[in-house]
Amino acid sequence: MAGKVKWVTDIEKSVLINNFEKRGWVQVTENEDWNFYWMSVQTIRNVFSVETGYRLSDDQIVNHFPNHYELTRKDLMVKNIKRYRKELEKEGSPLAEKDESGKYLYLDFVPVTYMLPADYNLFVEEFRKSPSSTWIMKPCGKAQGKGIFLINKLSQIKKWSRDSKTSSFMTQSTKEAYVISLYINNPLLIGGRKFDLRLYVLVSTYRPLRCYMYKLGFCRFCTVKYTPSTSELDNMFVHLTNVAIQKHGEDYNHIHGGKWTVHNLRLYLESTRGKEVTSRLFDEIHWIIVQSLKAVAVNASPSLTSSTANDRILKYNLINDTLNIAVPNGEIPDCKWNKSPPKEVLGNYEILYDEELAQGDGADRELRSRPGQSLGPRGGRSRDSGRTVLTTWK
Amino acid sequence: MLQEESDLALIIAQIVQKLKGSNLYAQLERQAWGSWEKRILKSLNSMCTELSIPLARKRPVGEQKELLNKWNEMGTDEPDLSLFRPVYAPKDFLEVLINLRNPNYENGDSHSFRTHLGLIQVPLKVKDIPELKEFFVELGLTAGQLGIDDSTQVPPELFENEHVRIGQKVLSEQDSAAAQQYIRQGSPTALRAELWALILNISSQPEDILYYEQLKTNVIQHDLLVDSLIYKDVKLTASNDDYYFVFEDYLYQVLLCFSRDTSVLGHFAYNSASPPKSYIRGKLGLEEYAVFYPPNGVIPFHGFSMYVAPLCFLYHEPSKLYQIFREMYVRFFFRLHSISSHPSGIVSLCLLFETLLQTYLPQLFYHLREIGAQPLRISFKWMVRAFSGYLATDQLLLLWDRILGYNSLEILAVLAAAVFAFRAVNLMEVTSLAAAEAVLADLSTLKVMPLLQIFLFATVT
Repeated sequence: MAGKVKWVTDIEKSVLINNFEKRGWVQVTENEDWNFYWMSVQTIRNVFSVETGYRLSDDQIVNHFPNHYELTRKDLMVKNIKRYRKELEKEGSPLAEKDESGKYLYLDFVPVTYMLPADYNLFVEEFRKSPSSTWIMKPCGKAQGKGIFLINKLSQIKKWSRDSKTSSFMTQSTKEAYVISLYINNPLLIGGRKFDLRLYVLVSTYRPLRCYMYKLGFCRFCTVKYTPSTSELDNMFVHLTNVAIQKHGEDYNHIHGGKWTVHNLRLYLESTRGKEVTSRLFDEIHWIIVQSLKAVAVNASPSLTSSTANDRILKYNLINDTLNIAVPNGEIPDCKWNKSPPKEVLGNYEILYDEELAQGDGADRELRSRPGQSLGPRGGRSRDSGRTVLTTWK
Repeated sequence: MLQEESDLALIIAQIVQKLKGSNLYAQLERQAWGSWEKRILKSLNSMCTELSIPLARKRPVGEQKELLNKWNEMGTDEPDLSLFRPVYAPKDFLEVLINLRNPNYENGDSHSFRTHLGLIQVPLKVKDIPELKEFFVELGLTAGQLGIDDSTQVPPELFENEHVRIGQKVLSEQDSAAAQQYIRQGSPTALRAELWALILNISSQPEDILYYEQLKTNVIQHDLLVDSLIYKDVKLTASNDDYYFVFEDYLYQVLLCFSRDTSVLGHFAYNSASPPKSYIRGKLGLEEYAVFYPPNGVIPFHGFSMYVAPLCFLYHEPSKLYQIFREMYVRFFFRLHSISSHPSGIVSLCLLFETLLQTYLPQLFYHLREIGAQPLRISFKWMVRAFSGYLATDQLLLLWDRILGYNSLEILAVLAAAVFAFRAVNLMEVTSLAAAEAVLADLSTLKVMPLLQIFLFATVT
């Protein structure tokens, strides 16, 4: 058994376990010597909390960076992005350029957002500027669409007001932290329905930043037609796309689960809107992902529960490709590794950003001056190879 | 002088032969279609009687208002459709085709036909591979193709960029014939919607939009029994499809209008079938009281909505979508479910498929026959639906590009044969029809252009 990767997990999901077993890896307990631990969010928190002071040894890998919650918790993510933008501005980076009205040219990808109850008064000021707008309330620490609701009247969030009378019976800390963002009520609709994107990104190292995007992401559709009408603000089936919510709608169809592959989406958009617009859209999505990662760290727990047969296959393959990149050739991990894995092991991942590659070749690297004219994710074929444009990836 | 005379004699003989043949075939077609038509009308009428629902009725005003409000989301309506059944499914139609017989077996043509071991027993003329290679010359190995030469491994300068440029030029010149020639090598995704419209001569004029609105009004005001059949079909097929479920509501908007569109009756002039007729109550058999039912003369069968579904990837404006579909139907799709001797008719396609298989993959053909898995029983449904719902959407659109480019449905039969060729190794190992079906159940990963190219141009014949 010498030389075989020893694994532990506290998540009993077949898509994980089958992948470990097929590689001939050896299952051990967390008290024994392990090389690879696929941890649940709970465990990560405990393992890396300040009190335990646990340190990974050189031959150990886990599936989350210790500060993953910096991106998962909505309030922390917003804080990080705002701070990142300010830092870039201070450094005089061209990325932080603004237009005449003070909007960021390249980093304006988060709608106006406030923390509640902390920024309540700031929020009210903004709300009063456009009183007919709709805002979306999301609890900071929850996922799967839990606890989200829409408001268009201040009275609906009285609870979070710092001065509210009800708060005299509660201390600040018992009010659950929420973020409130301006709701985008003219989303792109397909077949009259709203949808969102579920994309998988793997970050293998953080310094230098090396991340991969899984090519088989998907869109999740609402079962009901979208309407911005205020009478339907309460109808979660219209506004929220999370499968956990949609699953309980009357029209939820168990055969396809209301999903499209990103590939379908691309085909549809190219067919109906044209190639340039579609390419630019995907470039901007990739840009947002990389910038968010730079601002912060990595995400916590993608759902490993499969809702349909196709879904199960997707997740199995996803984990398979993930493991191939994270633990190349099934070798015992060594923290001194810093090589980029060869193209063959990428599977359905493609390189989203590789800092070393980006900085290594200097002048003859592909460059770009603004997100719209980029050459797409590296690793995939560049479709606009005729144009050379300036890159300032940091 | 002698040469001229014998040439002339030959020509005359050929003409006589043709006339003889066409008379026979015309008779044949009319007979077969006549009895089929009677059957489906009977089925429709009995459904009517059983469920006590009239074939057509005017909607009360309240119901009209409600439908108008729901026009964009008819998919959320859940009428009780459990008692409705499709009037027929492709396999029922296949049985009819299998039972077609040429009454005149003395015909010299049928000599070689006696060795035909497939299900189709009508000796129509179909192309062999050399003829297909000539017909589909632009699909050859030396020409660039979208669906092959635009894959990520191939640098775009080699073919794709230039092809896109030419496509844009064709569009800017609005040259329909050039577009048809161009699209034989496939259409770039961004140009496809416009190219198809150009080839089909569809331009959304105000009168077209008005015409569609009138059909919509018709739907609002009258309820037809076939509407329930359409609902049922959409719910059973498109709503469960990975790609097309999103467009469910568009399908109702197109198909309900389609069944009321009497201009569609026009295609029966070149269709050897005739539209099914019904009679006003109590006036059975009296021609003055005959009406076409449904008004467009087309009774939808199980899977019919799949003709429309792929088009939703290209057109999202209802009246344009409608026009494109209608034109595709009267040019192509109707041939897939009516009996005729036309080379693009389903009978010819079936025969072409079987002949290709028997001639070029004899071992496979005989093996499948032996185990009771006549290949046509599996491929029929693919061809009747023009592969919609069986291929990935991008592949399907590349296939339909070629249908438009060559103005022929023969490519469906060639593709069907190519699929069997591709999976031949696995098929040789199966021992039952069910197992064969399983091998061919999932076509969603197939790339059609390489398959077609290999089958036509790279297989040793």
